[in-house]
Amino acid sequence: MSVLQQQYRNMLNRYTHGKALVLLLALPALLIPTMVLCYIFWQAAPVLDWNFLFGTADGIGFGVTEGIFSQLVGSLLLATMACLIATPFALGTALYYRTFATPWQQQLLSALFNMLQGIPPIVFGLCGLVVLVNLFSWGVSLLSGAVVLAVVVLPLLALNTLATLERIPNEYSEAGSALGLTKGAIILRLWLPRSWRQLLTGLLLAMARALSETAPIMFTATVFSGVVWPDSIFSPVTTLQTHIFYLAQEGNDPLLISIAWGSAAVLVLLVAFFALLARLLPKSGGN
Amino acid sequence: MVADLRHDDFLQAEPAGPLESSQNQPSAVLTVEKLALSLAGKEILQQVDFSLSAIGVTSVIGPSGAGKSSLLRCLNGLESGWTGGVKIDGNDIRQWPGGWDQLRRHVGLIAQKPLVFNTSIRANVCFGLHGWRQRRRADGLVKASLQQAALWDEVADRLDAAATTLSVGQQQRLCIARAIAIKPKILLLDEPTASLDPLSKQLIEQSMLQLAQQIPLICVTHDLEQAQRLKGQVIFMCDGRVIEQAASDQFFRQPQQIETREFLRWSVCDCD
Ligand SMILES: Nc1ncnc2c1ncn2[C@@H]1O[C@H](COP(=O)(O)OP(=O)(O)OP(=O)(O)O)[C@@H](O)[C@H]1O
Ligand SMILES: [Mg+2]
Repeated sequence: MSVLQQQYRNMLNRYTHGKALVLLLALPALLIPTMVLCYIFWQAAPVLDWNFLFGTADGIGFGVTEGIFSQLVGSLLLATMACLIATPFALGTALYYRTFATPWQQQLLSALFNMLQGIPPIVFGLCGLVVLVNLFSWGVSLLSGAVVLAVVVLPLLALNTLATLERIPNEYSEAGSALGLTKGAIILRLWLPRSWRQLLTGLLLAMARALSETAPIMFTATVFSGVVWPDSIFSPVTTLQTHIFYLAQEGNDPLLISIAWGSAAVLVLLVAFFALLARLLPKSGGN
Repeated sequence: MVADLRHDDFLQAEPAGPLESSQNQPSAVLTVEKLALSLAGKEILQQVDFSLSAIGVTSVIGPSGAGKSSLLRCLNGLESGWTGGVKIDGNDIRQWPGGWDQLRRHVGLIAQKPLVFNTSIRANVCFGLHGWRQRRRADGLVKASLQQAALWDEVADRLDAAATTLSVGQQQRLCIARAIAIKPKILLLDEPTASLDPLSKQLIEQSMLQLAQQIPLICVTHDLEQAQRLKGQVIFMCDGRVIEQAASDQFFRQPQQIETREFLRWSVCDCD
């Protein structure tokens, strides 16, 4: 009896030690991001108000502006355009993967996209500068930035779509073709209703990703000031990401720094909004 | 038309010839010659030969893994890597006008595992119909198909409920209704009554016999008594080959092959 108790206590000790160790290692991973977030909002609090969010710069001042509305819209415009450009290609690739590709091609495709995902986005930015901005003479513009961003989020989007389509069981499609449905009908009437939620989730995650990318748009799409609203897809924009970057370089002006904090907080909220939406979506029904 | 041809008549009966001339709307006749299928380097079907009379049920029996489901999948084009010849009304199914999709509308298949789509019961029944307008205006067809599948009484008041809420047996009948709704000219059923209670089984068998007055049916079954009740022809398969084929009376009374006798008596088959 007492031996058993002893053993039990030993085990418990070992267990609590282990638990303490795991906690010790896990805590920083939890605490540091939380602290960073708190700090951002702490710093941003003084400037965050209605005017800051929905005011626009006069377009002349050097970042010392009443509001960041045009930056906010610029970020959203770029990210939305990038996702719109990337989606058809991601879908096409995934459909090819699921319907026509041989196992060998499937492996190649997923390896390729995994590799693409590992390429630093600044490399794409550089390519965009050389090819789109200069060679195609699109200039530093909304279009150039959107295309480069589309390339950056394409692997994410394509891999998500691949995984979604791969999760549809073969029997499901077969039950459809046994009824004489064509490939197109199977895709539209069986696959899409079944997986649109996951596809939309992927799209929202891609939005979040596109919103948080800075490097690829820095020299393809954005300027610091001089622009309030883009008049066409060939005009440059201002975005939150680059706004923060430029302001942070002016490290000694407390006003600019506080605007940077405010912009950062808004950007974090924006990204979090899309990421959260993506999380919540599949839970609201569906299979 | 005579529903159950005699064994020897059956073997001599040439496929399309006499039937084409005898009817305005010719019922499909199926002939299978030297059908062979290999999957993943394994021979699933070898030298399968048989033919189907214009109407009536043909039961396919045989031990598990004999290749019965695979045979049906070949006939419907879900499996396309086979060799040999399959002809319907004298037309090679590989050269079917409109391709495999059209063939599958002609040759309905009810799979072994019932799988309903994640929509309403009504939408499931209409799923194979072309065009959303047809699907919308198909109330009569939905009712008729569900009645034929012996499901109407249970779902009449909840046609718009999700099909996944049905029991497995009900889902199986829904799959039958779905296949009937596109009015196939040949119907292949893979163990259609495997998960049904005796009453539904009886109802389904009645429907099958009724349908079999118009079109040929192939019904894979593990239930030997069912094969007897369905009359018509019986094909006994083992290890990817057709061992014996005969009219059901004769098949069960006087099986010709040793393997068949063994199978009927002990439910084992040792055909190697
Ligand atoms: N896709 C596949 N790849 C490899 N082998 C397969 C495949 N499909 C079926 N087989 C094999 O083919 C053989 C016949 O399978 P099939 O499903 O046709 O048998 P069955 O007669 O319908 O059996 P049951 O009565 O259990 O349904 C089995 O040995 C099975 O393992
Ligand atoms: Mg089977």
